[in-house]
Amino acid sequence: MFQRKLLLVFTLLTVLAMGMALPVAGQDMATSVECGADGYVGNLQSIEVLDDMTVKFTLCNPDPAFGSKAAFNAFPIQSSEYLESTGGGGDLVRSPIGTGPYRLQNWDLGNEMVLTRFDDYWGEPAREETVILRWNSEAAARLVELQAGNIDGMAGVGTGDFEVVEADPNLTLIPGAITNVFYLGLNNTKPPLDNVMVRQAIAHALDRQRIVDNFYPEGSVVATQFMPPVLFGYTDEVEPLEFNVELANQMLDEAGFPRGDNGVRFELPLNYRDVVRVYLPTPGIVGADIQAQLAEVGIQLNIEQMESGAFLDASDAGELSVYLLGWGMDYPDATNFLDFHFGGGASDQFGTKFDEIIGPLNVGAQSGDVDVRYQAYIEANTALRDLVPMVPVAHGTSGDAWNARVDGAYAAAVGTTKFALMEDTEDDNIIYMQNAEPISLYCADETDGETFRACGQISESLLDYEPETGEVVPALATSWEVNDDATEWTFTLREGVMFHDGTTLDAGDVYNSYMAWWDASSPYHVGRDGNFTYFSAFFGGFLNAPATE
Amino acid sequence: MSNFLVRRLVSSIPVLFGILLVTFVLNRSIPGDPCRAVLGERATAAICDAYMERYGLNEPIPVQFVYYLRNVLQGDLGTSLRFGRTVTELLAERLPVTIELAICALFVAVIAGIPLGILSAYRRNSAVDVSTMLFANVGVSMPVFWLGLMLAYFFGVILKDTVFALPPSGRLTAGANPTPFFIAWGVIDDPRQASNLLLFLSRFNILNAILTLNVNLFLDAARHLLLPAVAVGTIPLAIVARMTRSSLLDALGQDYTRTARAKGLRELAVVVRHAVRNSLLPVVTIIGLSFGGLVSGAVLTETIFGFSGIGRTLVDGITARDYTLVQGVTLVTAVTFVVINLIVDILYGYLDPRIRLS
Repeated sequence: MFQRKLLLVFTLLTVLAMGMALPVAGQDMATSVECGADGYVGNLQSIEVLDDMTVKFTLCNPDPAFGSKAAFNAFPIQSSEYLESTGGGGDLVRSPIGTGPYRLQNWDLGNEMVLTRFDDYWGEPAREETVILRWNSEAAARLVELQAGNIDGMAGVGTGDFEVVEADPNLTLIPGAITNVFYLGLNNTKPPLDNVMVRQAIAHALDRQRIVDNFYPEGSVVATQFMPPVLFGYTDEVEPLEFNVELANQMLDEAGFPRGDNGVRFELPLNYRDVVRVYLPTPGIVGADIQAQLAEVGIQLNIEQMESGAFLDASDAGELSVYLLGWGMDYPDATNFLDFHFGGGASDQFGTKFDEIIGPLNVGAQSGDVDVRYQAYIEANTALRDLVPMVPVAHGTSGDAWNARVDGAYAAAVGTTKFALMEDTEDDNIIYMQNAEPISLYCADETDGETFRACGQISESLLDYEPETGEVVPALATSWEVNDDATEWTFTLREGVMFHDGTTLDAGDVYNSYMAWWDASSPYHVGRDGNFTYFSAFFGGFLNAPATE
Repeated sequence: MSNFLVRRLVSSIPVLFGILLVTFVLNRSIPGDPCRAVLGERATAAICDAYMERYGLNEPIPVQFVYYLRNVLQGDLGTSLRFGRTVTELLAERLPVTIELAICALFVAVIAGIPLGILSAYRRNSAVDVSTMLFANVGVSMPVFWLGLMLAYFFGVILKDTVFALPPSGRLTAGANPTPFFIAWGVIDDPRQASNLLLFLSRFNILNAILTLNVNLFLDAARHLLLPAVAVGTIPLAIVARMTRSSLLDALGQDYTRTARAKGLRELAVVVRHAVRNSLLPVVTIIGLSFGGLVSGAVLTETIFGFSGIGRTLVDGITARDYTLVQGVTLVTAVTFVVINLIVDILYGYLDPRIRLS
């Protein structure tokens, strides 16, 4: 408590001494906290500016994925001057000033957003002068707009419209990267799921190929592991449990669950929420198919649909037995999938946690050595297969559709698609229709993909993802160094990067941006509504977080 | 008249209070809390705790209602949980979209519905009557969602590159960027400094085009309004046509019509000056009720045609458990109903002086 107060006093004195102004590069910029002290649960220990173009982050616990996280859209670097003049909210939220290839020209709320090329962009200039973002929540209506020629591209082709787009010579279908998983959750505290043979039998009884073939759009694949194949943490060496109804029946018999007179061995509820996601485009139908498949081996599932929020709360609390759920990637690393679900800090959604899984996951999460990590994930994936806390079913895909005349159209493997790489060969703008209007343009305080897509054209993070592969690549930082145990990350910034208002990027901007998110007592910790959800989720918590009742 | 108005306005207060109470309780009876609906599935328990505390959602529901009622009486409809903006600002931005669409749809319904009804009644049991009523029946039973998509596809894709092509969605052509009238007039330089009233008025594209004398904007807005207005106006059109027909048939059989004919008036004068005028009373009621229905029921049309009106906003609010937004939209919709009913009552007096006297 003493240190926390000391830090508060220090912060207040600093702010008062500077007349509420943010520090600038050259002034002393360093903030640190004692890990675990006074209720601090975050993983960020300190941020310090080493010189005008160098920033160092120190972590409480190793995090080899810190670079991946720093590349995420939710951490856009802001100009210190603009951050200060807007007070961390207000115009920062509606009219941001970033370093990206496009800047905001006009946001006609409710109708459209117009972006224009930033001529002083540090990288390759945007190919098109103007990008216009529009929105309509109905995939069919977006497709009609595209077919009418009023827009150049659209997000999220409807599951039933893939063939329509492919058959139209004027259109191009761009399948999205497969970075999600749909699974059948099995809670090992709910009998008879406490018997590992029962869980294994369920895995053997499921014909996952049938589900993917019948209920997923073209390009989706069967999930053989929890990790999608394109991401680090997927291990070819681990074979999945095969589809074998005969073996499933045999295992259930051996486990002591013979069929009754009506052919049923036991009954269980099957819970799901009727929310469409890329990983589960038709929840009700897939649930019914799984019910039918498991009925073949004498397991009667009674389907119960739940409201989304109540469903998530119940699954997190370990209250559900069998349920349909999935996960979409935030950043391309195994920790985002495996640790979140099966690590020591995971929720109780699968029941009692397994040391056989937590052990290798800890090794993988605390080493900066790729080979060591890979071996750990082989072990973790093997344990996941054998202990069956869930059955991975499918990796779904979505698809964008573009007018064929647009050159360079692609779908980002990770992060947001960058319109700066595209060109409409017939006019000087790209008109793109997405699912919904961005909520704001300050993505540090947002969580939805539509907002990230807009922010991603205007603002940039320290690092970025390579458009096709998703590999972490330099952006505002040209290079970064990490120590052996992945607790110290030092970023060297790019020289000559200009913000849209003409100011130049330096280490002070990085420091002040991160401090505004990290320090809940900062006068600039404002945003749109001050939640900074992703910062808290990725880095464990805020500095000086107010106590809640 | 003023006594009548005051009496009607006072009698609407318990109605509005009841609507507020029911909406408030129903909102909070839905399973799940707004935190994850608004902040997404990555929101941690700590984030959600802070969120619920910040918006006072951890208080007992009766306490929340008292606070809410107090704020409403002071003209504060609260802050939207999803958008982080005041509900008043959102309504000022989005209500004009719905009202403009509703007016256009009603225009379509009245312009086409009343003549069709008159024609049908005048040519009773003829082929014209049968086909008109068949059209009306089909119109009433047509799903707006399907009709909207078909209209958009036909006029947007099939008739693409012809003079009959119409934009399938949106309120204006991409990049149109209309100048609000208060900017054009030099009243204010920065639209962010505009009051909610100015913002509200400027969001009527047709009105804004007229006030800024922008012909291109007017035509563009009108072209974009046509399909949604037809889609949303089809049902009221059919109802108006049917009501006009039955009411006019009734009027044509009345003594005063027979007297008018006996006086030797031309048939057109008999129908238009005597029968039609007297048969419009129930039609006005239907038109008034339809307008209220259009304002509250434009959800599907706004969804299909990409209009960010209050129908669409209400759906977003419900999905995100945005209590304050749902309550604000409901309250405004209820007030709209009350006002429209009031206007209909006043119109009654002018159409039938006996009602005003009584």
